[in-house]
Amino acid sequence: MTHSLHRRGDVDSLKKDFLVLACTAKGYNDDVFAPLGAEFVRICARHKPVNGGDMKTGNLLYVDPEEIAQKVSSSTIIEFTFDNKQNVIDTIRELKERDLGISIVISGMIDEVNDIVEKAGLPKVHTREYSLGTHGKTKLLPEWEVLEFTTMCGHAMVASELVKKMIVESRKGRATPREAAVVMGKCCSCGNFNISRAVELLEKNAPLWTADYPVY
Amino acid sequence: MLVDETKCIGCGRCIPFCPVQARSFGRAATTGRTVVVIDRDRCAECGVCERAGVCPVDAIHQDVLEWPRQVRSILSNPLVEFKGTGIPGRGTEEIKTNEVTGRVRIGRVGVGIEVGRPGVSTRWTEVDKICRAVAKLGIEFCADNPITHFMVDKKAGILDPAVVNEVSLSAIVEFEMAEEQLPELFRILREEVDGEINTVYTFEIAARLRPDGSTTVLKKIQDAGYEMLKVSKNNLGLGRPKFREEVAP
Repeated sequence: MTHSLHRRGDVDSLKKDFLVLACTAKGYNDDVFAPLGAEFVRICARHKPVNGGDMKTGNLLYVDPEEIAQKVSSSTIIEFTFDNKQNVIDTIRELKERDLGISIVISGMIDEVNDIVEKAGLPKVHTREYSLGTHGKTKLLPEWEVLEFTTMCGHAMVASELVKKMIVESRKGRATPREAAVVMGKCCSCGNFNISRAVELLEKNAPLWTADYPVY
Repeated sequence: MLVDETKCIGCGRCIPFCPVQARSFGRAATTGRTVVVIDRDRCAECGVCERAGVCPVDAIHQDVLEWPRQVRSILSNPLVEFKGTGIPGRGTEEIKTNEVTGRVRIGRVGVGIEVGRPGVSTRWTEVDKICRAVAKLGIEFCADNPITHFMVDKKAGILDPAVVNEVSLSAIVEFEMAEEQLPELFRILREEVDGEINTVYTFEIAARLRPDGSTTVLKKIQDAGYEMLKVSKNNLGLGRPKFREEVAP
């Protein structure tokens, strides 16, 4: 339900983190969705997404966008991740002009999304989902520095232990930040994992507790 | 998910990829060699270890899951499509298609309680507790959600006893209700759920906005003292409506 909603991070980091997705409405437009979804993929791919994909086909780290487009089906949710607001504005503007007639959703910081919608020439947001945070036995949660990575995949495909390992690999110079980010990003088949944001997080000073973290 | 003990060389490369830390080093039952073993009770059948493709000897494979264990993969592996919803993933279309379907309208809210998220996972006993608690609101659980499908009593929010001991990376309890019920929902979650569950849940409220971008829902959330995360999910209204909106927004 909320694959792209509950991302954690500081304001400056989240300002460079947007998801644009298209979704079929089952029983309403699934019979005509596939070619429209394919066009959505091609439009998004033109505006420099940092990741993206379809959970069934895979993400841009290992699949060509045209292959994703050609495999869009009547039950596909297609998602693209951006690190640049202007690229999102350009994407939404083109989607508006093309008028595909399918549902388009943006996840991002509220003020940023409002600004994107206005600059793309759209009316105000139709429906909005708010995240009220995490509750219950919160002491079970991993460290904040880990959540910043793991919450970039709403299906929880990026394991906390993998994040810790890749922080160490990057810190010790055994992988570049980009290589470490790609290892994590490949686990998120939908392509929601923002590679450039992950690189920035890895380039920050790694938390001290990772210094002694065991690495397999 | 299984590890073939006769192939595994005990390199451990797959261990950090497991989102629920169900993998560790152990002894092969037949040879006593050091291999990777899987805690089958903890394994959520998400398939990440296999898809990661890091095993140098191809020792990881997905076994055929019987009932009720197969519900683990339905809720944990996004590549498994639940036939009840016809879409991959753990929930429904929810507000992603709201301008087409009219699922959540003015005066109503969509509620999602994702149990086990982020990254903690959940046993379904905890999901059952939450379903029973919120069912007191007299709400109707979303029919196209997998959790609703596994209820034996949808009015009382009671899950099938056959599945309550299963585990998944998360499970989403979804329903719609009147906006006026929000204060009571908040009370139930705080008084009857937060201190009673052995996992976490992440919580969202969806609202149809007015043409000026406002909603009275926001004030109710703020009045209840919830600190919202900075990120939001927004339906842009670009789909063709297939319903008539009775109440002008």
